Amino acid sequence: MSRRMSHDRVRSEIFAEFNDEDWSSYRQLVGWLREIGAADGALKVGEQAPDFLLPDADGNLVSSVRLREKGPVVLSFYQGGWCPFCTAELRALQEAKSEFEAAGANLAVVSPDTRHFPRQLRKEYGFDLTILGDVDYGVAMAYGVLFAVPEGLLQHYARRGVDIGGRHGSPVTMLPIPATYVIDRRGTIISAFVEPDYALRQDPEEILNALKEAVR
Amino acid sequence: MELHQVRYFLAVAKTLNFTRAAEHCNVTQPALTKAVQKLEHELGGPLLLRERNLTQLTDLGKQVLPMLERTLASAEAVRTTAREFGRREVAPLRLGLSPSVSAALVLQPLADVLDHVPGLRLELCEASPEVLVAMLLNGEVNAALMDGLDASGDRIDSWTLFRERFVVLVDAEHPFAGNSEIGLEDLRGQTMLERVGHDGRDSFRQTVFEGVEPRFGHRSKHDTQLQHLAAAGFGVLISPEHMPRHPGLMAVPLRSDVAWREIHLAVVQGRRYSPALEAFVKVARLRDWSLAVRSTNLDPSRQHAPAHP
Repeated sequence: MSRRMSHDRVRSEIFAEFNDEDWSSYRQLVGWLREIGAADGALKVGEQAPDFLLPDADGNLVSSVRLREKGPVVLSFYQGGWCPFCTAELRALQEAKSEFEAAGANLAVVSPDTRHFPRQLRKEYGFDLTILGDVDYGVAMAYGVLFAVPEGLLQHYARRGVDIGGRHGSPVTMLPIPATYVIDRRGTIISAFVEPDYALRQDPEEILNALKEAVR
Repeated sequence: MELHQVRYFLAVAKTLNFTRAAEHCNVTQPALTKAVQKLEHELGGPLLLRERNLTQLTDLGKQVLPMLERTLASAEAVRTTAREFGRREVAPLRLGLSPSVSAALVLQPLADVLDHVPGLRLELCEASPEVLVAMLLNGEVNAALMDGLDASGDRIDSWTLFRERFVVLVDAEHPFAGNSEIGLEDLRGQTMLERVGHDGRDSFRQTVFEGVEPRFGHRSKHDTQLQHLAAAGFGVLISPEHMPRHPGLMAVPLRSDVAWREIHLAVVQGRRYSPALEAFVKVARLRDWSLAVRSTNLDPSRQHAPAHP
């Protein structure tokens, strides 16, 4: 099965679990993100990617400058370990990781989750990924992919037992629009996938193609 | 939410004047107004009350202001200081610790910060939580790790880093030594060593010893001295689990739901972080502190031993 078909199948499985409230919440959020143009200010191909210093799941600092010293970087913004579309994407990225590395690239995934949540995610799915914590949302804002979560959506997730703001340690809850960037060794963005429909994620095959361009 | 929208809103919040804010941001007033309106739309309501000669923050504006200041500062730090982190310019970091929080707890994360911020110049100081809050507000320390953060008010941002249990420290000949745990009732009749001074322990004492009258004997302000007394058999000492221990002491966990405490990281709300502080706060908020709690008392010779001989 191709990666795209696998992704579509996983997405269908997640949708199959949706109840009416989930569908309503999903449609409202995607519609609202498009209405406010939430992805309009996202960094684009050819722009310089902001460098950062963020802690990984163990609290060790990871520098983007060091990540791209030896090759391009795949940087994927996901919303958090509570989001099934995100964990499905991370599983696909984990599967493709060795191919990214064979292309000379480093992969890092980033969400606003803090405390033990990134470690919990790593353990639950057996991930061997560089999972970064975007403490205070600075990196998502610098990449232009940040939005403030509407109160109705926060209540929806609270009813499902997910305290998103509590996971971030933040009094105002924000999330990134899921996005995947490929950044070359000089720090220039060579591929940007930013999608307000958070059920859609970039096919790892497309990321690999971008990486091949980067090392050409 | 875009950087410039937040920057413009913060400029208006600071000047309470759209014209001056636009001048400050070097944009036209209509452009600034449009950007603030877009931000208001995203945040679900007006952030500013616009009257003829008066601009004020709405309740929503007041509510989101500190977080937007923090996020913008963090985003600007991302944009401007990633390269500066690597420079060898002096990067001071003054860190306050309450007396029952050992420096051993923060050494590894600070070493990680030093690796990325080579100019780090660290200053550690010890004070009670109440004094540390005052020192934070006065700018005498940049961040503090403390227990008993009760009266922080709304000018302090704080995060709970971890929960830690209390243990009873006794000398190797003490009847408790070797027990897997003891109950609070077992402390009845024991001579307790008492830490003098405020450290959140008063509330701890009241909670833990409710109904059990402890018999306090010898006292000191310093854990090291108290540990020497305990090792010499002068009494038993209640201590946080992470506290590095005198080699002659045995730690016996307390069987009690109340013999726990939380350690908090505190910084001043809205104050700009230096690169060193930015890095430390981020590390602190993701670190697995339970490992540090356990490792401060590992035998160093065993820390590097192979798992399987």
